[in-house]
Amino acid sequence: MLDTHLDFKLLEMCARCEACYHICPSSLNIEGYDPRAVIKDILAGDYEKWITSKHIWQCLECHHCLEICFQHYGFENAMTALRTLAAKRGVTPPQVKRGWDMFVKTGRLGEPIMPARKKLSLPEPGASGKEEFLKLLGVYREAKGREGTPAE
Amino acid sequence: MKEFAVFWGCTIQSRFPFLEKSTRVVMDALGLPYREVDGFTCCPEKSLVNNVDHGLWTLTAARNVAIVDEMELDIVSPCTGCVSNLATVASELKVDPGKKEEVNGLLKEVGREFKGEAKLSHLVPFLHDEVGVNTIKARIEKDFSGMRFAIHYGCHMMRPSHALKNDDPLEPKKFDNIIRALGAVSLEFPTKLMCCGQGLDRVDQHDMALHMARIKLRELKRIGADALVLCCPSCYLQFDNNQFLMEREGEKFGIPVLYLTDLIGLGMGFQPEDMGLSYHRVDVGPFLEKWERGHSRPSPAATLTGELNVEGAL
Ligand code: SF4
Ligand code: SF4
Repeated sequence: MLDTHLDFKLLEMCARCEACYHICPSSLNIEGYDPRAVIKDILAGDYEKWITSKHIWQCLECHHCLEICFQHYGFENAMTALRTLAAKRGVTPPQVKRGWDMFVKTGRLGEPIMPARKKLSLPEPGASGKEEFLKLLGVYREAKGREGTPAE
Repeated sequence: MKEFAVFWGCTIQSRFPFLEKSTRVVMDALGLPYREVDGFTCCPEKSLVNNVDHGLWTLTAARNVAIVDEMELDIVSPCTGCVSNLATVASELKVDPGKKEEVNGLLKEVGREFKGEAKLSHLVPFLHDEVGVNTIKARIEKDFSGMRFAIHYGCHMMRPSHALKNDDPLEPKKFDNIIRALGAVSLEFPTKLMCCGQGLDRVDQHDMALHMARIKLRELKRIGADALVLCCPSCYLQFDNNQFLMEREGEKFGIPVLYLTDLIGLGMGFQPEDMGLSYHRVDVGPFLEKWERGHSRPSPAATLTGELNVEGAL
């Protein structure tokens, strides 16, 4: 239900293009970050080693590759798919796990800080949608079955 | 102008309430018809939620949009991530009726429906397109002539472009236009559109995040930028907090980081304390001093005009 998927036809084109490599901020500035290698391995069915690699988390999701791509696709899709796989297996960076846990508990990634709001004479913040969100999360999980709720 | 809800997002409200303050000051001064709306959750953040569960990411964003759909409001957000996430999901559902139906089947259980009618805008293109550069300019009492600013757009202000459709995704202009309307120079530099790199902090790669921040900060120092101007809490975190952390370790760049609304507010005549500038971790003093100096010196135009109007000898 509403799952992530990869388009292998587009990835085949990537393997012969590599245009976005030359503008990707992570490729340009982070040693060892090379989506070209990742895509070749995915196409060869040999992606296992990337699941535990720190490199798949170095994609900044800046969408630069998407915008420059003649397919409007982008390296990032391959990275997202591998990160999702890593999450399903519970091998995310600890902070991702913490963020996720907080999100599914509260519907947010942080609460408004009231003392500072008062000091700045900010009005009461809008009420949180937590209750309704939790109900929706229950509905979603039921529809999807336990299998679809990774990282827990 | 159509009424809109402000989508503040988690980061501004949980970490940088002073950015909310400066946004409100400017929106109030411009008399914008904004409403406080109950029931929003996290947009949700892409790297944490979408990576783990695309379905829940989609559903949560659709629910947030459904809230304003029902109230017939648009959304404006001073956070690039929030708008980009909401718009990405909205555009995905709009082109895929099957998916939309699936999502609405679930939302129905909590009494909501995603229609996708609300316009979802980031504050910068909104100020540019809906308020108008000239309207803002007309309200500026003390402009920024003589100041040289570096803009950091923030990737998610205009990307992905198929969802946001608000500016050229690789050569945006709207933020620059506003800065020029304030009288300042908007600097061109090679890393202008480079991602801030803050995402690396969210995946336990703090050193890498600093590495990315350093690349841009070094360049800004080299070209002599008076300040870095941005309008995204994540980018703000990266350049203000992380710059401060490096400063504490003895690596000083001295680049003040300002929210666009800080500048507009100051230009309108509000005081630094009205905008919460003392909460910025990197000292904004040098920027304020240079700006003051620029205004205490009479402009060449004023001197010449003055002289031309004096009674002559002949
Ligand atoms: S989204 Fe990821 S892969 Fe694409 S250009 Fe940005 S950092 Fe590189
Ligand atoms: S994502 Fe697009 S630009 Fe990048 S290698 Fe693939 S086809 Fe080329």
